[in-house]
Amino acid sequence: MRESKVVAMLLAGGQGSRLKTLTKKIAKPAVPFGGKYRIIDFALSNATNSGIDDIGILTQYKPYILNSHIGIGTSWDYDRNMGGLRILPPFTSESGGRWYTGTANAIFENIDFLDEMNPEYVLILSGDHIYKMDYSKLLEAHKEKEANVTIAVMEVPWEDASRFGIVNVDEDNKIVEFEEKPENPKNNMASMGIYMFDWKDLREYLIKDVKNRDSDNDFGKNVLPLMLEEGQKMYAWVFNGYWKDVGTVKSYWDANMDLLDPMNTLDLYDKGWRIYTRTRNLPPQYLARGSVVKNSLVNEGCYIKGTLKNSILFSDVVIEEDAIVIDSVIHSNCLIKKGAKVYRAVISEGMTIEEGQIIGEENSENICLVSEEGISVE
Amino acid sequence: MEKCLGVISGANIENNFGALCVHRPVYMLPFAGRYRLIDFSLSNMVNQGIKTIAVFTGEKVRSTMDHLEDGKAWDLNRRFNGLFLFPPVSHDLSGRRRGEIPQYYLTKEFFEQAKEQYVFINHPNILAKVDLNLAFKHFRDTDADITLIYKKQQDPFGEYINTHKMNLAEDGSVINIGTNLGTEREFNMYLKMGFLKKEIFIKLVKEAIERGESDNLLETILINRDKYKINTYEFEGHTENIRNLKSFYDANMNLLKKDISRELFYRNGIILTKTKDEPSTLYTESSIVQNSLVANGCVIEGTVENSIIFRGVKIKKGAIVKNSIIMQKSEIQENAAVINSIMDKSGIVGEDVRIAGSMLMPFIVEKKQEIRKD
Repeated sequence: MRESKVVAMLLAGGQGSRLKTLTKKIAKPAVPFGGKYRIIDFALSNATNSGIDDIGILTQYKPYILNSHIGIGTSWDYDRNMGGLRILPPFTSESGGRWYTGTANAIFENIDFLDEMNPEYVLILSGDHIYKMDYSKLLEAHKEKEANVTIAVMEVPWEDASRFGIVNVDEDNKIVEFEEKPENPKNNMASMGIYMFDWKDLREYLIKDVKNRDSDNDFGKNVLPLMLEEGQKMYAWVFNGYWKDVGTVKSYWDANMDLLDPMNTLDLYDKGWRIYTRTRNLPPQYLARGSVVKNSLVNEGCYIKGTLKNSILFSDVVIEEDAIVIDSVIHSNCLIKKGAKVYRAVISEGMTIEEGQIIGEENSENICLVSEEGISVE
Repeated sequence: MEKCLGVISGANIENNFGALCVHRPVYMLPFAGRYRLIDFSLSNMVNQGIKTIAVFTGEKVRSTMDHLEDGKAWDLNRRFNGLFLFPPVSHDLSGRRRGEIPQYYLTKEFFEQAKEQYVFINHPNILAKVDLNLAFKHFRDTDADITLIYKKQQDPFGEYINTHKMNLAEDGSVINIGTNLGTEREFNMYLKMGFLKKEIFIKLVKEAIERGESDNLLETILINRDKYKINTYEFEGHTENIRNLKSFYDANMNLLKKDISRELFYRNGIILTKTKDEPSTLYTESSIVQNSLVANGCVIEGTVENSIIFRGVKIKKGAIVKNSIIMQKSEIQENAAVINSIMDKSGIVGEDVRIAGSMLMPFIVEKKQEIRKD
C-alpha cells in the first residue's frame, strides 16, 4: 500500500452504556470478547492484515485499560520507526479544552495530525465492531470508481433495517440517498460505519460541517448527507461476512455464543487472517480427571475440575469440582467454587462465585450479568 | 541482581534424544505445551532482575535464533544490556580444542567490558526455579569466590545414574564432583549452575587455555579448588534434569501433578516465551479430556488422557491420545490411537492408525512425519 498512502482513523471513544456494568470501568472497544480478545482487536488486526501502515486511535471514554492494552501497538506490529500507531485523545488548545462531540468532530479535531501525515486516503473505522474485513479491497473499489467516498455496507434482515443507517443505491452501487434509521426502509443495505475518503474532500467537508452550528458533527447524520447533496461521488461497497455491533448484554452474549456454532463464519482459526491481541503468556490449561468439557472455548491458565458446557472461558479461570457452568461467558481471573452452578451468565473479570451459589436459570430467556456492582438480569 | 551477568551454556550432547534433536539443540526441545526448555532458564533470570544475558548457542543455531529473536519475549530487547547470542566461533583455537572454555575465551572482550562484577552460569537443560536473589545473597554474604548450587535428590530407583554427584565437606565446601552411580538412596546432585566473581571466571578461563588441562569449566574449577573459596547453596525445590528421552518424557508427565506444575510455571514469576496468537482451544461435543495439559489453538473432538497437547493440535473424532506428548500443529485423525508416544511438530497420524510405545521408551513420530494406513 506504499504507493497510495492510507491513514486509518479508529474511533474508540464509545461508552457503550447499554452494556451496563461491562463498560463501567472500560470503553466499549476494550470489552473482552471471544475467550482472549478485546473488541478493538478485530479492527486493529484487520488494519494490520490489510497492510495499513498508519493508524490513529481516537480515545475518550475511560481510556486507561484500552491504552495499556494497545501500548505502542506491538501486538499488531504497529511499533514502527516509520508510521505505526498513535493514540489521539482529546486535548486542550489556546481556545480551551473540548471533548469530541461526534464522529466527524473527532476527526476534525485531529486535522493537524492528518495534515502532517498528508495521506491520499483516510479510512474511518469503529472500534466497536466484530468482523474480519480486508480494507485493501475497499480501497481498490474506491479507486476503481474514482469515488470521493466509498462506504462499506451490508445486507441486514429487513426487520432490523430501521435500526441502521440505510443506503439507497443505483444499479452501479452509486449512492443516491441516505436514510438514518428509517421507519419504512426502501432497502436493507446498512452502512457499517466504515468509510474510505479522499483526504482533500474529507478535509473540506469537515471544515464546512464544523461551521454549521446546527450540526451534530456526525458522519452518518451530517457530513455524508451534505456531501451527497453537494454532488460528491459516493459509492457503496458490499461486504459479505460476519459483522456484529454488540449493543446490549444479550447481543454480547449471543455474539460470544456464535463462536461455538460449528457453522459460524467468523473463523478465528484461519491462519491467513489472524486476530492479534496482547497476550498474558500464561501456562496451558489443565483439565483434571473427572472434568467434563463440551462445546466450549477455553483459554490459557484455566484449571477445570468441574463441568463446562456451551461456554467461553477467558484466561486463568478456575472451575472447582462439582461446579457446573453452562451457556456462559466467564471473563479472566474468575473463580467458580465447589458445587456452584452458573447458567446463561456473563461474569466480569476477577469475580468469585461462592460454594453452592446458583447464578441464572437453565433454559431462561434472560442473561445474568455478574459484576462488582452485583447481579443484573436482562 | 543487576550486578550479575547471566550466562546460558547451551552446548551439549544430543545423542540421547533420537530423532527429536537431529535439527535442534536439546535446550530448544518443545516442553510443557507451549515452551522451549531454554524459556525456563531465561525467564527465571529475567524475572529475578538479571538484565544482561549471554547465550552460548552451540552449533545448531537456527532454531535458537528463530525462537529468541532479539529477546523481545523476555524484555531483553534493550538499548542497554539485554540479550547477547554467541554462536560458536570457528577459530584455530576452537578447532583444536572443543568444549566451552575456548568459546568463553574467544568471547573474553564481552566479559571484560560488561560492567557487571559477577557471573551466574547455568545449563538450560536443568529446570529449577531457584530463588536467585537468595542464592546470590548467600554467595555475597559468605564472601565466596564461587558458589555452586545443588539439590539433595532422592533416587531410590537409580533414575539419576550418570548425573553429577557433589561430594561435600561438613562445612558445605566442595570436596569433589563426580558421576552418580546410584549407590545411595539420596545424593547431592550438582545442578550445573553457580555464581562466580567475574575476575575469577576470566582468570580461570585464561589459565585453562594456557595450561591446557581442561576445556570444561567445571573441571577447571575443581582443578583450582584449593586456590579459591568455593562453597555451595542448596536448592530445595523441584528440579528436572533433562538428559535423555526418558527424562524428557517424565518431565512432561510430571507437569500433570499440580504441585509440580504450579512451582515450575509460577514460582518467582511466570515463564515467558514467544507468543503465537493462537485463539482459544475449542472442545467439541464429542471431546473427553482427562488429566491433561492443553495449550491454545487446538480443536479437540476426540479423547485425551494423561497427555501434554501443544499449540494448534487437532484431535479428530474417535481418536484416542493417552500418556503422550503431542507437539505443535500435529494432527491425529479419525479413530487413530496414539499411546505412550511423542509426536514432534506438524506430524500426522492418519485415520485408523494405531501407534504405541512404552513409558520407558516412547514411540517417536518425527517432525512432519505422516503415518498412514496402507
